[in-house]
Amino acid sequence: MTNVQKFNKSPWVVHFNCNSCNGCDIEFLACLTPLYDLERFGILHVGNPKHADVLVVTGSVNHRNARVLRNVYDQMPDPKVVVAMGVCSSTGGIFADGYNVLGGIDKVLPVDVFVPGCPARPEAMIDGILKAAQILEAKHSGKTPLAMKTMLIRTPTLASAAAGQEKGAPHA
Amino acid sequence: MQIQEALIAALVLGPILFGLLILTGVKGPARTGLIVLAALSTIGAGVALPVYTNLSNMVLPGVVTSLGSVLEPLMILIILTIGYRLKSWPVTIMALIQLAFCLAGFVWGHHGDTPDTLLVVDKLAMVMVMIVSVIGSLIALYAVGYMKNHEHHAPHTAASTNRFFTVLIVFLGLMNGLVLVDNMKWLAIFWEGTTLCSFFLIGYDGTTEAKASARRAITLNVLGGLAMSAGLFLAEHRFGSANLSEVMAKGPVTLLPIALLVLATMTKSAQMPFQSWLLGAMVAPTPVSALLHSSTMVKAGSYLILRLSPSLHDTPLAMMVAGAGAFTFVVTSALAIGQSNGKKVLAYSTIANLGLIVCCAGIGTPLAYAAGVTILIFHAISKALLFLCVGTIEQTIGSRDIEDMSGLLFKMPLTTNIAIIGMISMMMPPCGMLIGKWMAIESAARSAPLVLIPLVLGSALTIFFWAKWIGRITTASYHGKYTIESIDAWMRTVLTVIASGVIMASVFAMPIYVLVIKPMCLAACPGGAPGMEISILDNVVDYMGWPMLVVIGAIVLSLVAGTPLFKPSRLRLPYLCGENIDSDETSCAFRSIADAPVVTRLSSYYPPLFGEAKITAWGNPLAFLIIISLFGVLIK
Amino acid sequence: MTLPANPLTIVLLILIVPLFGALLSGIDRRITARSQGRIGPPLLQPLYDIIKLLRKEPLLTNRAQVVYAHLHLAFMVLAMLLLVFGKDSLMFLFVFAFSTLSLVLGGMCVRSPYSRIGSQREIILMVAYEPILILLMVGFYMANNHSFQLSAPMMSPVPMLLVLPLLFVAFLVVLAIKLQKSPFDVATSHHAHQEIVKGITIEYSGPYLAILELAHFYELALLFFFIVLFWSSPIWVGILLASFSFFLMTVVDNLFARLTTHWTFKFMWTSALGLAVTNILWLYWASK
Repeated sequence: MTNVQKFNKSPWVVHFNCNSCNGCDIEFLACLTPLYDLERFGILHVGNPKHADVLVVTGSVNHRNARVLRNVYDQMPDPKVVVAMGVCSSTGGIFADGYNVLGGIDKVLPVDVFVPGCPARPEAMIDGILKAAQILEAKHSGKTPLAMKTMLIRTPTLASAAAGQEKGAPHA
Repeated sequence: MQIQEALIAALVLGPILFGLLILTGVKGPARTGLIVLAALSTIGAGVALPVYTNLSNMVLPGVVTSLGSVLEPLMILIILTIGYRLKSWPVTIMALIQLAFCLAGFVWGHHGDTPDTLLVVDKLAMVMVMIVSVIGSLIALYAVGYMKNHEHHAPHTAASTNRFFTVLIVFLGLMNGLVLVDNMKWLAIFWEGTTLCSFFLIGYDGTTEAKASARRAITLNVLGGLAMSAGLFLAEHRFGSANLSEVMAKGPVTLLPIALLVLATMTKSAQMPFQSWLLGAMVAPTPVSALLHSSTMVKAGSYLILRLSPSLHDTPLAMMVAGAGAFTFVVTSALAIGQSNGKKVLAYSTIANLGLIVCCAGIGTPLAYAAGVTILIFHAISKALLFLCVGTIEQTIGSRDIEDMSGLLFKMPLTTNIAIIGMISMMMPPCGMLIGKWMAIESAARSAPLVLIPLVLGSALTIFFWAKWIGRITTASYHGKYTIESIDAWMRTVLTVIASGVIMASVFAMPIYVLVIKPMCLAACPGGAPGMEISILDNVVDYMGWPMLVVIGAIVLSLVAGTPLFKPSRLRLPYLCGENIDSDETSCAFRSIADAPVVTRLSSYYPPLFGEAKITAWGNPLAFLIIISLFGVLIK
Repeated sequence: MTLPANPLTIVLLILIVPLFGALLSGIDRRITARSQGRIGPPLLQPLYDIIKLLRKEPLLTNRAQVVYAHLHLAFMVLAMLLLVFGKDSLMFLFVFAFSTLSLVLGGMCVRSPYSRIGSQREIILMVAYEPILILLMVGFYMANNHSFQLSAPMMSPVPMLLVLPLLFVAFLVVLAIKLQKSPFDVATSHHAHQEIVKGITIEYSGPYLAILELAHFYELALLFFFIVLFWSSPIWVGILLASFSFFLMTVVDNLFARLTTHWTFKFMWTSALGLAVTNILWLYWASK
């Protein structure tokens, strides 16, 4: 992170809750607290898509909020990335079979990073946003290798956590 | 000398003549032609006078004085008749007392050779003549277009349009006469004349509200006229002279007549506690508000008090006058915040600025005098423009309430841009009004610190209502093309001319200051201030250049840099959490429960803090006490 | 002590001052973070923010926004130059006020309820603190041999802080409002505060937001230099005073919750105004 030009120095995040149970939202807000401290990466939680680079979405898409989600996405200036936080926004989660649920947000938006988990862990969230910031920079400078287009963040399993191997964010 | 006399005759008698011609009942193009002729001749004479004058006092033969002695009781009799017909006790009694003073003047007054009538032709008079002639005539031309529309909607009780134009144009002549005479009898005649014009024009529509407002106007103005008659009688009887300059030259012993004249100016300029008549006068058609009640008639009071300023200097009266002006300034600025009626906001703003001029006249140093004159000139132009804009807006959208003016930038782009120019010229750094306010604050800091605090508070409050109003009218979404709204050609032309005048005046504020204003205050306050005061005036010139260049540069840069970026693909709706409704152009509506639209309305008038009733409840009594103290300090 | 007003100095000032302002902003964020037990962003984070914003797509709601943004920046730069070159203090004040006013008008010209509320609140805050600032300039005038030039306090042998202590305290409250710090941060919702979703700046994005942020850096530097005026010789004491004031603002920001505009208006027009008027009165009687 020595090149000051890179977008990943200052990715500003707007958070949108589609129909989440609020579990992922609480975990996301926990990232802003001193324990996880998103601001040390230059990440600011702005409430306004017009100021934001990264759209973090929790919860799945239904008939009502599809249009709203699209509206919020359209109001973000280019370049922008979308992070699907939690399994609900990735695939619909445990509500995927509901009569009103259309599925994950990739039904409506082009998603760049999927962060699974129910709820997703803060470390995984941070990792996801940082990866999204790198994709952001790649998008702006025009070089977007296919491999970076969409990334899947692997969350630590209970077994590996019990083994005490990882405390921080895992790498894909 | 001959040219000067001819021009003065054209300025004073010309409009009266034209007005009487219109009264004969011509209609249509003939009437328009007469009005245009009157306007052009007045503008011509008004612009030519400063060029051809030799700035020395003129003397008119004694027959003019005799004419004045006849006209004065005639004027009072007219007022008495009006008082009787209105069945108004205050007006009738005051007119009777005035008549008594007049007759007493005949009996005990100056006997001997009929003195000559003096005309004072100095730079202050020139400035006022130019304001009255140029702006007044332009407003008369605007009225041609305005009244065409007004006639269609006017209530059946309205008087005839011919009479309207007669009084409007005769008024121009009366104002010109008012600022040119030195003889106090003639001053009183013209003063009462303007009161009568105002009475007629306010009550023009003939509705109950108009009649009540006209009644209040004449009551308060006759109070001023009474004060003036009393002052005139005292001056003639005790000090043997009827000419203002001679009375002023006699020194502090003549303070009582001067204090009475000051009271007359307070009523004419609608200072507190006499401000209610000007607020009521806003029911009149817009040309009346623009002409009488913002740029000329109320400026008669400002003119008089600026003329009296040198004789107030170093007397106890000076601080009371400054205090009264500053008090009016801060209280009416607060009152303007609580108003949503556009014309009432303008009225309160006018009263506030007049209070500022009164305050400057009270402070009396050269810098204060310069500040007063600067505010006089620039306020007259800007406020006239704003009233004309509000009139145009009212005729087009049918309302004069600020809350109804959302999205005006799209509906009426020309008028809105001109209104923005007018409002910004009342507040923005390079424009004359701000320079005047700056000079006023500096002079108060130098010479009258107690007065400083109301001035400071008031100038902070003025930002509030202007910013609110500009914000309300400039709210508009992006539109690819703006179509200029169709308003009457007369109105459009006059608006454009006066708007250009405002811009020119701001661009040329520096030369105007150096060529016109500075010599004026050097002449008016000759030795009465230490040399430091005079050199301060030079510093003012330094600071007008920078902000203007910066503003022009910033606007040019933003338009140049921004224009290539205006692609339709880059336009977005405002952020309303994703629930935008696109249909409504002017309000911020969003979709809520069950997809039902919700309209947001925001306003900030703060009735608990700035409501008219609340503030007037304590403002009027305090102002009344100040007026009493004005006379109290004279008791020794 | 005053700088010469030649074009080279002006250009250098225009280029270097925002860097200083960015540093002040970064230090403030860092201290805030540390006092909350976090690590906080790098010191030059505000610069990274601006560079990122400049590279984003410019989105607009209408054309007038752009003009107001440029006016805001232009007047802020002019105010900074007027201050550094020691010109007339009242003119400096009016230019500064008009810069804020341009921002307010820019907020009002968009069809967003959030920015309108932010603008209205900002106007009330302006009306609340303008009298104090004007009285401060009058205090400078009275304390500096009746000169309205800002170069006078720069060259004054007596530090202004000793002559105008109450006015300095009143000015510190104004500083808290101008820096958008709690308890007065109700209008523009700077950084992470979101009561009205960013308030005035909500409809600005990309390069236009960068212009507003840049103007804010100039404003920070301008306020810093202004405090240095209160103790201009030796100048390191003034710089220390300014640093301490800014630090105090950050600490107060982290201690206090937000208060309403009504409360602020009443407080400024009673308590702060009382302090200012007292100071002015004793200066006036001392000079008699």
